[in-house]
Amino acid sequence: MLSALDRRRTVAPPGYSRWLIPPAALAIHLCIGQVYATSVYKNSLIAHFDASQTAIGVIFSIAIVMLGLSAAVAGTWVERNGPRKAMFVSACFWSVGFLVGAVGIATGQLWLLYLGYGLLGGIGLGIGYISPVSTLIKWFPDRPGLATGLAIMGFGGGAMVASPLSRQLLTLYDRGYDPDAAGSTASGSALVWLFVTLGVGYFLVMMFGVANVRVPAADWRPAGFDPARATAKPMVTTASVSAANAVRTPQFWLLWVVLFCNVTAGIGILEQASPMIQDFFREGGGSAVSVAAAGGFVGLLSLFNMGGRFAWSTASDLIGRKRVYVLYLGVGMVMYVLLASVGRVATGLFVLLACVIVSFYGGGFATMPAYLRDLFGTYQVGAIHGRVLTAWSAAGVAGPLIVNGFLDAKGEPGTLTAAGYRPALLTMVGVLAVGFVANLLVRPVPERFHEPTAVGSGEVEGGLAR
Amino acid sequence: MRDGSSGQVGRLWVSWLLVGALLGYGVVETVLTAARLFTG
Repeated sequence: MLSALDRRRTVAPPGYSRWLIPPAALAIHLCIGQVYATSVYKNSLIAHFDASQTAIGVIFSIAIVMLGLSAAVAGTWVERNGPRKAMFVSACFWSVGFLVGAVGIATGQLWLLYLGYGLLGGIGLGIGYISPVSTLIKWFPDRPGLATGLAIMGFGGGAMVASPLSRQLLTLYDRGYDPDAAGSTASGSALVWLFVTLGVGYFLVMMFGVANVRVPAADWRPAGFDPARATAKPMVTTASVSAANAVRTPQFWLLWVVLFCNVTAGIGILEQASPMIQDFFREGGGSAVSVAAAGGFVGLLSLFNMGGRFAWSTASDLIGRKRVYVLYLGVGMVMYVLLASVGRVATGLFVLLACVIVSFYGGGFATMPAYLRDLFGTYQVGAIHGRVLTAWSAAGVAGPLIVNGFLDAKGEPGTLTAAGYRPALLTMVGVLAVGFVANLLVRPVPERFHEPTAVGSGEVEGGLAR
Repeated sequence: MRDGSSGQVGRLWVSWLLVGALLGYGVVETVLTAARLFTG
């Protein structure tokens, strides 16, 4: 049955609009972006299982680690089988993850949440994240940054959808639950129904993406697009590099370092956003920034995280990938120095600096597929992107470790002052500097890593030609 | 964009409306939350 989803059966007929592909990709990313909204029901899970913060937090960690691993391992499979089958498999894993998790909550078996949401859901995350990337790049050879920025913006938007939706669903399923009241937790049955609703709802939305996604014919070009002009830029190749060869190039590892540094630095802000703004403006015993205002700050960061993904990635089509990373990492360093030195002068200044930093964090994610396309070609860019995403998993561990390590030495977040954050922030300047140098060292991939010309064409890749 | 069929135009509208509605819902809810930064 799965053969109906094969790449060769999803080649677009003549006249198929390429503008149907971004919403198909968004349908996937808006769903899997839910992973960053798990904090909404975390306390309810802790109360239901009578478990520790760590025991429940592990569910999220397993999912993120599985995201990186499955994206890396399944990348070549995704390239070979095409976006429709990959999206379908992703939807199945993601939804079954929720349903198995629901069974775990209903029966009080925490390990089923680890297995369901963490392991199975995490596989769905990884495959879903990379599934539309190479297809978008092939449909938008003239604007790859815009195309991948749109999709990866959806991942940021997914959390913005899931957070209020989960709160409203929990309130619907448990009338006694008040998400605005400190200490209020939803009942186990409300959590079960939340997981079932999300599992079924996300499956349906993702099927919409499955139905609409198509791969372009091998000889398809957008009207007025001249490949020779696009590849005349020094950092854009016409060659094809396989995923197996890509990992043998210094360029791959330099970009791995670039992504790792950019994500690590961004997490430095995102992880501690709420207590950080309160601590920065602490006077005497209390803070000039209320808990509600700090929550608003977190919301604002989400908007800039999402907006940065689209805006900066689109801008990279105009100014070039290498230059835009110079901006993310170089200006990012300046922003971090300013945050550490003058961030506490005014709340508005603090918010502005943090928003710019977080927009660079989002931009770094969204621009990476286009950077990879420029260097390695479109041949197996999805698989290469999957391998690079292991940097995200590594940064997800390293970023909080660095920040928490420094903060633990100074006291407890929520009781610190601006000075307590300074060492952590200045360390992030160093992290960004490493990424900045790595980006400057990126050069075109040497010819010895290129595939023979015929291999890079659609016919050999996966039966693109009709 | 080469588009001869009205079916495809409808599909385009439905596609963008669906993801636009989802994204719009998230953005509006988040803007309301973010507003607390200035009012809270």
